Amino acid sequence: MIDLLQLVVAGLSTGAAYGLVGVGFVAIHSVTGIINLAQGEFAMVAGFVAIALLGAGFPLAAAAVAAVVTVAVLAGVIERVAVAPAAGSSAVVYIMLTLGVSTTLKATALLVAGPQPRALPAFTPGVLDLGGVQVRPQDLWILVATVIAAAALYVFLERTTTGRAFRACAEQPVAARLVGISPSRMSTLSWVLAGIVGAVAGVVSSPVFQTDWNIGLFLGLKGFVAASMGGLASIPAAILGGLLLGVVERLVAGYISSGLQDAVAFFLLIILLVARPSGVFGRTGAVARV
Amino acid sequence: MTTLLRRPLVVLLLALALVAAGCAEAEDGGDAAAGGGGGETASDAASAPAGDTVSEAPATEEGPIRIGAVLDITGPGANLGGPERDTLELLVEQLNAEGGIDGREVELDIRDNQSREDEAATQLTSLLQEDVDIILGASRTGPSLAMRPIAEQAEIPMISLSANLSIIEGSEWVFKTAQNDSVVVQRLLEWMEAQGHETLGLARDASAFGEGVADIFREVSGNPDIVLVEERFATDATDFTAQMINLRDAGADVNVIWGIPPAAATATQAYRQLGIETPLLHSHGIGNPAFLEVAGDAAEGIVFPIGRLLVADELDPADPQTEVIQEFVTAYEERYGARPSTFAGHAWDGFTLAVQAIDEVGTDPAAIRDYLETAELVGMSGVFRMTPEDHSGLGPDALVFATVRDGQFALADEQPGS
Repeated sequence: MIDLLQLVVAGLSTGAAYGLVGVGFVAIHSVTGIINLAQGEFAMVAGFVAIALLGAGFPLAAAAVAAVVTVAVLAGVIERVAVAPAAGSSAVVYIMLTLGVSTTLKATALLVAGPQPRALPAFTPGVLDLGGVQVRPQDLWILVATVIAAAALYVFLERTTTGRAFRACAEQPVAARLVGISPSRMSTLSWVLAGIVGAVAGVVSSPVFQTDWNIGLFLGLKGFVAASMGGLASIPAAILGGLLLGVVERLVAGYISSGLQDAVAFFLLIILLVARPSGVFGRTGAVARV
Repeated sequence: MTTLLRRPLVVLLLALALVAAGCAEAEDGGDAAAGGGGGETASDAASAPAGDTVSEAPATEEGPIRIGAVLDITGPGANLGGPERDTLELLVEQLNAEGGIDGREVELDIRDNQSREDEAATQLTSLLQEDVDIILGASRTGPSLAMRPIAEQAEIPMISLSANLSIIEGSEWVFKTAQNDSVVVQRLLEWMEAQGHETLGLARDASAFGEGVADIFREVSGNPDIVLVEERFATDATDFTAQMINLRDAGADVNVIWGIPPAAATATQAYRQLGIETPLLHSHGIGNPAFLEVAGDAAEGIVFPIGRLLVADELDPADPQTEVIQEFVTAYEERYGARPSTFAGHAWDGFTLAVQAIDEVGTDPAAIRDYLETAELVGMSGVFRMTPEDHSGLGPDALVFATVRDGQFALADEQPGS
């Protein structure tokens, strides 16, 4: 029983990071129809920025916030410079474009930071013993950060005018345009939001996953599987999907074979694509919803 | 709306693109590394078309000597390949400053295999087209195994820097400088015996480096039940909770983590975080400051067999390796401001063996091979005595027991079996 709880705790924290990255896929896809292959790289860049600032003498909290802001701005700039000019292109063009962005970010990170993985220190050192279950405080940080980021995004989308405009763009792009909402502004906004959640994931998970130039591929793939569980259309479903994926991975490793752990995500992805392309949590034939 | 029809298609396209991304990134990463690595061709003769005409004639004994290396410079093996590249660049510079081999300049062509088997094969094939005289690498077992059949088919001598016996077993052309894993296992068993431990739990790298380790423990110990549990982890794994829980529950006398950093270091952290008190042994895969950086306090008190290079400061002055090791440590520290890892030592051994062979017999591949089969060298990883049957040339005496004390590698107080 203790073992089960221990595995679930580890799975939840890993899964929360997957979920956050997944939310980034959803934010961009629901508004623009683009699948952003550079989503995992947002996390990678944020990790490196935070590590660099910490190394330059900034306190950890300031470094973390500055990293998130930097990546949010970077995401907005990428949208303006690389994506917006191709407005109206087919899905394949966008896939190649974002693949190019991803490759550029990776190559830059490799040149600047080198091939060695680095890590932020754990935000709170030590280990908590909760009735026999050993919990790293960083696991809690990841979960808390995910809840806060998801809740903030939810409040923004449900309670603010800009958020409502954003949703309108996702659900009824034509009608939204008719009432004066600018799709191009909303597109930029979606990239900034995706940058923020990706960056948060990258910063809080750095002490556990470590940050290296290639971590974006790992996070991006797992985040994509998480987002696919909601058909790339629902933020809560992406978070739930991430948590589910994280827990299933750990349980498979613990009870079946640790060699199969990384096959789980891809196995789930294939099943999903074949059986329920609209997502486990999505309704078949439902209108895109944020 | 058409979105309904489009979405599955888009998702499928994306899945394809992600796969493509996996491949494409690797390509680009390599290019970037080539740009950032500061000149992969250490001597600046990239412009000189190697050799004279197409080498139909038996190796002409003039012009530059070309040594090719395929190393794990990026990817999960970066902690190995990085110091190895640095070492080779340092050594070739020293050698050329002293006039090369018999007055011939030595050109080094270092390639990055991105820690991948397929890329190792590709890079080796490409090197062979450029008329290299001998091949060094790869850094890890998997890529080395991918290179072995290519080197054998091309009949060119290859010196791997990695550990697994399967790289050289029965091979005519392939040698290696890292200690055999069976020798490491033998030393670990000696330690267990001295401490009165009878059973072990094993968490091992799922790549070729860890493949078959449990069987070696069973064979060498002669006890089919010695391994109570065998857990696996990917070389780039980040969470080890499941594996460490299973080690804990197996309740063996001692646990062994068999991997390389950062994975082996993160696994050690998870081991301590779960509060497991059982003594923890490691393999020779962690002989690298990168292990200490990631593992931190969790590494205190672990024990592992390792070549003497890692504990250079504590060596007995009478030891035959002491002088050559300390000389290398000084030169490496002076150049890079850091201590050389065990893997730097494997590269030193490979390079020095290659140079020694070419110095003695020239660049004819078969002559180099024949020479290496009887080569002797007081090196970093041990005192090599190659034979036609043993292309590793290192015995158990190449390994001492090390531990981690106050965040530094140190010689263990007890040295059973030596």
